[in-house]
Amino acid sequence: MKRLSRHARIIAVLAILLATLALSLPSSAQEPVTIAFWSRDSAAALVQSLADAWNATHDNQIEVTLIPAAEYITKLGTAIAAGEPPDLLAIDLIYVPQFAAAGQLTEISELAAGLPFFDTLSPSHIRLATYEDGLYALPFNAEASVLLYNKDLFRQAGLDPEQPPTNWQEIYDAAVAISALGEDIDGFYFSGACAGCNAFTFLPLIWASGGDVLNEDATEATLTDPMVKAALEFYRQMWTEGLMPETALVDAGAEFLSAFFSGKIGMMGSGAFSISTLKNEHPEIDFGITFLPGKEGGVSSFAGGDSIGIPAGSKYPEEAFEFIEWVLSDEVQLEMFARTASLPVRTDLAENKYFEEDPRLITNAQAMALGRTPYSLVYNQLFNDSNGPWLAMIQQAVFDGQIDEAIANAQQQFTEIMAQVQD
Amino acid sequence: METLRNRPAETAVKMRNRAWRLPSRRQLAGLFFVLPAVTFTLLFFIIPLLMTIWMSLHDWPLIGTPSFIGSGNYDTLAADRQFWTSLGFTIRYTLLVTPPIFILAFVLALLVNLPLRGVGLFRTAYFIPVVIGLGASSLLWVWLLNDRVGPFNTILRQLNLLQGSLVWLGSFDTALFAIIVSVVWKTVGFTMVLLLTGMQAIPQEIYQAAMVDGASYLGRLRHITLPLLRPTIALALVLSVIGSFLAFDQFYIMTRGGPRNQTITVVYWIFNNSFTYFKMGYGAALSLVLMGFLVILSMLQLRLLHREISY
Amino acid sequence: MTAHSLFLGRSLTWRRLVSRLLLYLVFISLAVIFLFPITWSVITSVKPPAEAAAIPPTGLPSRITWDNYLKLNEFGAGAGRYLFNSISVSVMTVVGTIILSTLAGYGFSRFSFPAKGALFLMILATLMIPFQSILTPLFLILTRLKLQNTLPGLALVYITFQLPFGVFVMRNSFDTVPRELEEAALLDGCSSVSLLYRVMLPIVLPGIITAGIYAFLNAWNEFLAALIFMNQQSMFTFPILLNSVNTGLYGAVDWGALQAGVTISILPSILMFLVLQRYYIQGLTGGSVKA
Repeated sequence: MKRLSRHARIIAVLAILLATLALSLPSSAQEPVTIAFWSRDSAAALVQSLADAWNATHDNQIEVTLIPAAEYITKLGTAIAAGEPPDLLAIDLIYVPQFAAAGQLTEISELAAGLPFFDTLSPSHIRLATYEDGLYALPFNAEASVLLYNKDLFRQAGLDPEQPPTNWQEIYDAAVAISALGEDIDGFYFSGACAGCNAFTFLPLIWASGGDVLNEDATEATLTDPMVKAALEFYRQMWTEGLMPETALVDAGAEFLSAFFSGKIGMMGSGAFSISTLKNEHPEIDFGITFLPGKEGGVSSFAGGDSIGIPAGSKYPEEAFEFIEWVLSDEVQLEMFARTASLPVRTDLAENKYFEEDPRLITNAQAMALGRTPYSLVYNQLFNDSNGPWLAMIQQAVFDGQIDEAIANAQQQFTEIMAQVQD
Repeated sequence: METLRNRPAETAVKMRNRAWRLPSRRQLAGLFFVLPAVTFTLLFFIIPLLMTIWMSLHDWPLIGTPSFIGSGNYDTLAADRQFWTSLGFTIRYTLLVTPPIFILAFVLALLVNLPLRGVGLFRTAYFIPVVIGLGASSLLWVWLLNDRVGPFNTILRQLNLLQGSLVWLGSFDTALFAIIVSVVWKTVGFTMVLLLTGMQAIPQEIYQAAMVDGASYLGRLRHITLPLLRPTIALALVLSVIGSFLAFDQFYIMTRGGPRNQTITVVYWIFNNSFTYFKMGYGAALSLVLMGFLVILSMLQLRLLHREISY
Repeated sequence: MTAHSLFLGRSLTWRRLVSRLLLYLVFISLAVIFLFPITWSVITSVKPPAEAAAIPPTGLPSRITWDNYLKLNEFGAGAGRYLFNSISVSVMTVVGTIILSTLAGYGFSRFSFPAKGALFLMILATLMIPFQSILTPLFLILTRLKLQNTLPGLALVYITFQLPFGVFVMRNSFDTVPRELEEAALLDGCSSVSLLYRVMLPIVLPGIITAGIYAFLNAWNEFLAALIFMNQQSMFTFPILLNSVNTGLYGAVDWGALQAGVTISILPSILMFLVLQRYYIQGLTGGSVKA
């Protein structure tokens, strides 16, 4: 209930702000339309508050439909196949190349170029939204992966909570110290059955060490990179030494964050969403945020989040773009994103008054700026599929210890899948 | 049950005799009664099925332009290791889940058929899980089995059957075992009721005659109940085997096909191809092969069990 | 009860009393095993959220609260909307299944006409295809009929997939109605339709209720088609909400809310079954049980 009243306040502020703005503009004589907007349910809070604020101040209405995240791509694909796409959609940025290549998104290069803040938009989002020189989507929200750690447990284990780990050895040492605190306390956690979670939190470990899993132009798999093996060995060691809870084995993502809620997990890879959720729902947990480090140091991050685009079959493409423009405006980025601890998707707004109050948010914004994202037309099959080669490799290596076979299998399957789109 | 066996033959004979005549008024009335159901089936099953056949001959991306490739999908299928692995796993699952369902259902049916006070209450209790959806029941079991918040491990620990914690869905054997337990729990009541109705349809006189001859309870079970129950068992078996072959929800929700992709059923593989990899044409080909397999399997079961009916 | 002669009739000796007690012990332990998962889910759903997510799990709730249920309502279009849609589509499916199965069951049982066997097998064959694989063609057809994104459209599909069971049960039910009854009515000048309505329906009622129960259970619990065919969350059904709760917002599954969702999705089915179970068992046997 507390959350609702805060939203209500924000809406009221925005309503006044935008109403004055709207009055000063010449009103259009067109009939108001209802724009169908789809988003995965994991972004529910942000999407709903944006739609409410927009609807309170505009004639054209946004009608939100939240779709279970695991079935989002299934739902979207069948809707497009039946000629029934929404008018506007938010979609995980990594899927944009696939849908753009299939001709299912409206090209918005020119409209986007007209935005005064175009050059400040999240570079990862823009890169992923570009297909053959055309732009097919704009950033909607941003999630950069970082290392989340429990400061209380750091203190109890005699570690300095203000000196978080900066390389794998330090993560390992901290995990050992924290695990020693008690039988039900574990130093490290990862969702071992969640493909997407591990693209988000495990890939950056490889990147930060100078390795990669795809070559420069994403035409070849490079899982044989020694840093892939090193990262798998790192997790394997923590697993065999019992520094992670056994439940990691089966967590398909449902406990990606809630594992940390118990206050019994020392460190884990996570994203910006953890900050607001933890602050709101578990104020008792004193947590810190730092960068995901490389083997010998260095940092990296997975620059993720959703893009917003207009399906080829949208009934109201122009009206939909007005909403996109509004979402990216200064007011909304500051008052609706930054204020609720969501990362703004504009680099010029990464430092703002709300973030200055909480340095953890600054860290996250910086992670976004230095973050990377794989560009692939078959991203889903390679990385996100629960039965795909990426997760299979991690499981076989970390839980079964067959690191070399795991890498060889994954390298072969990556190559096969990528060959499907080359021709 | 008897009708299941006689009707088609009877109809066939009539059809031969009357094929050349115009349908009579009464025949038209019969057609009129079945027409709505037939129309629905044509519209929402036969037409989609024909479209599926058409799709299976194409490289049909869910979000792109289809192109005709003839038997291409079927060639791919023959060499698709995961398909054959999935088929093998599905058969294995069916073979493992069917006996416990039938043995337990038979014992339960015998129990609730006893002339005891309050037996109806127990029959209801054993049946109740049947009314739960497979999705809800799978979610329920994921929680029951969770090694941290679920009650099962705690109970097992208190009974001294378990030390530490067990991640049930974490390894193939325990995951398959857990899924089988959950499916047996959810479906055994249905088979129990089917068998029970079959048992109650057996005339009492046969039992009385056997008792006069001094047959024991087990003897009566073996020589009267089981043979006379065969048609019911046939029906229950066909329904149960089809259900197991089409298993999807419990694996999609409980294991997501894991661990290490060892619990991907055929339908799961079809779902992945159609909706995760967007290969609709290939998914269609897989579906048709599975359907053909099921039709043959069901006919075999019915034929086998019918031939042995001797009364 | 039919097997009385097996057990009663002789005097109750001590040995029989002990065996009777043991038997009840078996009955009761089995009932506990079968009912435990559901009961524990219901109990957990009224625990305070923190207790519902406690590690290791706690016993009985320290106090009873509806917090977990209220949380469901914060999601999407609100639990009420999803429930209303589920109820609507279930009712339509039940009514449609009953009408179509009764008519077809009557036709298949009492009339002979060309291609009868083939048509019957065609309806039964619906069981043999994985529903998932004709989902996209079905969606295309519904779109062509302008029935996509409507609850009646969804109900039409559900009805079709209930027909194999419904028609089978109803044909068996009609098979058990004595021919003489029908002939007498026909002699009195009854038409086929009024014969069905006045004479047969009361006799096949258990079959109708059985077909109806199954139609309800399937429509009430179905997830995938409801998600695919509906394009607005104001049209979504309860299983979609339940699935979202399980996915966990931002990777944080809410165990208490999940149990509240499971409870809501289970209880109506159980209540309906308890009310109608008397007919249900009869319906499965085609009325041949002498109660």
